[in-house]
Amino acid sequence: MVTTLHGLALLLYLLTAGGLARSLVGGGRGGTREGGALLAAAVLVHGAALTAYTVEFGELPLVGLAPALSVLGFLIGALLLAATLVREARPLGLVLVPLVAAMLVIGLALGVQPAGEPLAFRGLWFSLHVVLGFIGCAGLALAFAAGLLYLVQFRELKGKRFGRMFRFLPSLEALDRLGHHALVSGFPAFTLALLLGWAWTVRFQHSFVVQEADVIWGVFTWLSFVVMLLARRTGVACERRGAVASVVGFLMVVLVYVALRVSVAEGRLFL
Amino acid sequence: MSLAVVGVNHRTAPLEVRERFVFAPRDAAAALSRLTAEGLAREAVLLSTCNRTELYLRLPEDGAGPEAGIRLLAEKAGYGVEQAARYLYVHEGRKSVEHLFRVVSSLDSMVLGEAQIQGQVREAYEEAAKLAVEPRVVGPVLSRLFQMALAVGARVRSETALGMGAASVPSAGIELAKKVFGSLKGKRALVLGAGEMSALMIECLTSEGVRSIVVASRTEERARELTERVGGQAISFDQVARILPEVDIVASATAAPHAVMTRELLDRALPGGPRRPLFILDIAIPRDVEPAVGELENVFLYDLDDLRQFVDDNMERRRQEIPAAERIVAEGVEEFWRWYASLDVVPLIRSLRSRAEQVRQAEVEKALRKLQHLAPADREAVEVLSRQILNKLLHRPTVRLREAATKRERIAVLEAARYLFALDGPSDQETE
Repeated sequence: MVTTLHGLALLLYLLTAGGLARSLVGGGRGGTREGGALLAAAVLVHGAALTAYTVEFGELPLVGLAPALSVLGFLIGALLLAATLVREARPLGLVLVPLVAAMLVIGLALGVQPAGEPLAFRGLWFSLHVVLGFIGCAGLALAFAAGLLYLVQFRELKGKRFGRMFRFLPSLEALDRLGHHALVSGFPAFTLALLLGWAWTVRFQHSFVVQEADVIWGVFTWLSFVVMLLARRTGVACERRGAVASVVGFLMVVLVYVALRVSVAEGRLFL
Repeated sequence: MSLAVVGVNHRTAPLEVRERFVFAPRDAAAALSRLTAEGLAREAVLLSTCNRTELYLRLPEDGAGPEAGIRLLAEKAGYGVEQAARYLYVHEGRKSVEHLFRVVSSLDSMVLGEAQIQGQVREAYEEAAKLAVEPRVVGPVLSRLFQMALAVGARVRSETALGMGAASVPSAGIELAKKVFGSLKGKRALVLGAGEMSALMIECLTSEGVRSIVVASRTEERARELTERVGGQAISFDQVARILPEVDIVASATAAPHAVMTRELLDRALPGGPRRPLFILDIAIPRDVEPAVGELENVFLYDLDDLRQFVDDNMERRRQEIPAAERIVAEGVEEFWRWYASLDVVPLIRSLRSRAEQVRQAEVEKALRKLQHLAPADREAVEVLSRQILNKLLHRPTVRLREAATKRERIAVLEAARYLFALDGPSDQETE
């Protein structure tokens, strides 16, 4: 059931991506309602898949790479769905829907099931810590999409290319605003997640090992947030610099995650 | 019962001829009232814009054509009928419906896809409909026709890209600026030059909600003359460097023979480049802004060629939407015509049902006279039975007649029905 529902969600995400691509070819015309309905259906089915996971395995899908990717994908999808209530946010799906679909493909390939080795701690604090961390990451992904599309639209405007992409994408101001909102929403959630993780570790394990991979990654991601936010605040052409920072920052966060995951693959669970 | 349109537009007459046909609202009301009062039309609507004057008519049942409409327009233009006919077009029946639907969809406009025509058609219809005269100028047929036309126009705008993208140089500039800033509300603009193009740009910017406009001219007096007319603050050219850091948009339309906005000026005014996006529209020939200015990081510079290219792209996109728009028009025409044609069969169906009802009542009465012993409930049952049989018998012919109304063989079918049910002759009782 869990796999079937994930497969169905993947199919719906792919259909949503197809609709967006068709709208891009049409220069941003048509398909708004259908696209919104497809994305809503995809998120709904994805949510049902995660509920089925919880029921079937008796735990939240927060431990192990496949469940974690699924939850993160779900949060990105849900945030995108909420953002598309603002019409100009719809093109963000062009980046985010394929990203979520890719996460589901990886998750399905690995098998969406709990990791063999249970973590030492579970319960409310842990769940809050992970969910808030994921909300922060989803904000980061949204800022990445907005930043990337900002750079594309900037290039179209400077290059005087008034083609399909130019028409499909919203204004620079809208993309900058969306990216800013995503960071401003994601940063407090991620900060809270780090604080919760730190507090729990100190309270129950009486030690805090800063060399742990997840601690390194968490702090690196938090610093990336700070750099992205600061890049938008000062200097000449700060909007464009903010967009570049969002794109580079997100890619660095993903890269550092992959590097750390590879390095701690033996005997230690990391996400 | 027939529909017709008589009119003149930008395709059939030059401006100096078209302007002779223009009706002021009061003249239009008088003309429409006269047409219906004299029985020259059963219903009429007059559409009068700068590009077209069209008279939509529901013609009288006596078989009269649209000649009265032609005479009325000729009279308005001060031409004889023959002279006016050189510029006028006449469409009758289904063609007139198709014409209106194409007009309201902006498929017949000088600028393909322009938005104003829908409002003008709506206004023409509403003006005619609210005329408090007897007989009414707009009745059920033109009312339905114009409401459907407006619905078709709305569908074309929402389902196709026929009206998308700017179609003129100033609106192209505004559209591009919106791609940078989103909305122009609250933005600050600097206009270089005090000529007519500058005045036009100021109007466009003001209508988009630009907060403040500064006009710079070689001589401050000229700038002041313009700002007194269209608003804004006047300065001289040597103050431009001071004002540049405060503005978001620059529109330049001077008659200077050389560039008035140089890279050196921008470097001096905005050392390190603008902090916020700076949108520059150079609509002057020769160009007012050095191309090197556009190389600055946060500067978006567009000249006349860029804007024309943008407009051309938009118009090409609009042209590509014509088949989709024509399909919507054709669907609308078909739907209206089906309804309109069904009006022909309504009297026939009514007559058929009335004749059948007479027969039923007579026969039931006869039967009940012989069945005096029946209880009231049984008599009622006989009544109900006879009505049900009649309805069942007439249902299929009624449906078929309505269907036939929209088909080519309509007249033959209606004639056959009249003959078979003897609807033209005396009733059965009269015969008996």
